[in-house]
Amino acid sequence: MLGLGLVAAPFAFRMFSRAPAGGEMIDQFRPYMTTAKIGGFQRDMAEIDRAATEARAELPARLGLTPAQVAAQYPTYADFDRRWPAINADMTDMLATMRADIPKFEAVDALPPFPLFPWFFVVPGALIAAASAWGLVRVRGKRSRFPAAIAVGVLGLGLIAAPAVFQMFTRAPLGGQMIDDFKPLMTRTRVERIQGYFLVIGSGEGTLRTAIVPAATARAGTTAFPAIARFSADFPAISNRMAPMIGAMSDNVDNYDAVKALPPFPLFPWFFVIPGVLVAGLALVAARRDRPGPTGTTRETAPTASAAAGTPIPTPSGGIS
Amino acid sequence: MRHPHRTARLALALVACTVIVAACGSSSSKSSGTSTTAAKKAAAATPAKLVGTFGITAADCTAGAPTAGSYFRMVQSGGTLAAGPFVANADSPCGDKTYTGVTPGTDGGLENGKFQPQPADPFDATKNGVAAAITQPSKFYAVGFALSTNPKDPATGAALQPPQITVDASGKLSGQISALNVAWNGQQFSQGSPKPDGSRPGITADPTGTYDAKTGKYTLEWASQVVGGPFNGFTGSWHLEGTFTKS
Repeated sequence: MLGLGLVAAPFAFRMFSRAPAGGEMIDQFRPYMTTAKIGGFQRDMAEIDRAATEARAELPARLGLTPAQVAAQYPTYADFDRRWPAINADMTDMLATMRADIPKFEAVDALPPFPLFPWFFVVPGALIAAASAWGLVRVRGKRSRFPAAIAVGVLGLGLIAAPAVFQMFTRAPLGGQMIDDFKPLMTRTRVERIQGYFLVIGSGEGTLRTAIVPAATARAGTTAFPAIARFSADFPAISNRMAPMIGAMSDNVDNYDAVKALPPFPLFPWFFVIPGVLVAGLALVAARRDRPGPTGTTRETAPTASAAAGTPIPTPSGGIS
Repeated sequence: MRHPHRTARLALALVACTVIVAACGSSSSKSSGTSTTAAKKAAAATPAKLVGTFGITAADCTAGAPTAGSYFRMVQSGGTLAAGPFVANADSPCGDKTYTGVTPGTDGGLENGKFQPQPADPFDATKNGVAAAITQPSKFYAVGFALSTNPKDPATGAALQPPQITVDASGKLSGQISALNVAWNGQQFSQGSPKPDGSRPGITADPTGTYDAKTGKYTLEWASQVVGGPFNGFTGSWHLEGTFTKS
């Protein structure tokens, strides 16, 4: 029954669809969940912030306009200028969360591949069920079930050992924490908001590069805007980095939901240990009761020498059997 | 109990058959010219395949929205083709930045019935799309986007048919342009309709347009929602305009 329960568990938790979705998410996030990559995004945010600060401080005077006139004349820049502080705060928070979760991600990534998860239940479950069935067949054939009990016991010990072998007791809880940390990030609403940030930043940069800086330069002669110039020079590279990451987030909202719908990660090792202990324990009991006698028949069924000789066998209570 | 009704139905059926047979006899008694006209009408109603290139005229839009020529717009997620909201592209040559004008590529435009595939390396070092047969790459958010039509969808590997635009007797264009692809920023976007899997998500709309057989002037429009990636849910709205050249 325990074996069949293990076989049924992945179907009950829809692991065959959800676990591969988790694997896909891990694969698609892997390129971004590194200190170097997230550090690069954080430097991008700082660079945009320097440009935004410089633009706000310098441009109206260089253009000979009030901030309100700048806003009226360049609405896409004004939108960027108005929204940038909130965007910066939100993105900085998101990147800090991602950076803090790198060790957790690495722990999850070091687990066996997600698509194999359901098979870790099905295969041992099927083997336990088959070994148990083998034991029943042997009993019906009046043979010892001891070998089957040993096989079941070994499988049970394997289930107990598996979480330790794969370091699930440390990695799975970290995975659970990462899933929790990503909860506010991986919603369709949040991802669409971040898509919008990309458009706001891009429109702001484009307007600065194609309209505002040329206008300021034309009015004031050679005018240096070092932070804006750096931002514009780097924007294609920033866009190269940012767009695929937003794409990965957008493409994995459904995958995240699938992973979230799995049983809590910290419980996963216990899904192996508890059935493993039960299986091994029952196998031990069966093996002790059914150890082969000297003639190869079972202990319960083997005639003892005294019984064979017609001598009454004393029972533990002192009676005669 | 049912016999009276059955009799009535039989009578009605007989009357109907008589009327139909009479009508057929009357029709067959007319001259054979009628059937020739019908055949001509049927032939005219069958859309004709156009073999050649939809030459692209660059957008005339420096003052604002295009007054003529070809362009692209991007509708934001949840918007409509008619009312947007549209993404503003600061790199657009148009006065109205929600329009991005496109210019003819090395083939002069979109070839009907043939693929115009992207090069084996579809991006340059800074991730600009480089395919230049249909249109010259245009800047969108500082990065060039490039159009191509490919036998296999670059994003999914799905097998595709070349563009197939037909014209009916009244000069209306229709068909499919599933193979149209945009390379931008190191990423591939299916921008045809229907999509490579045959679906029409969101406000995706198959190609429609007009064609003047005498002058070759045409307009061709379609829309294609982006599925996946950084612009998931956004929709590319395409308007090609120019002269069709038969090959």
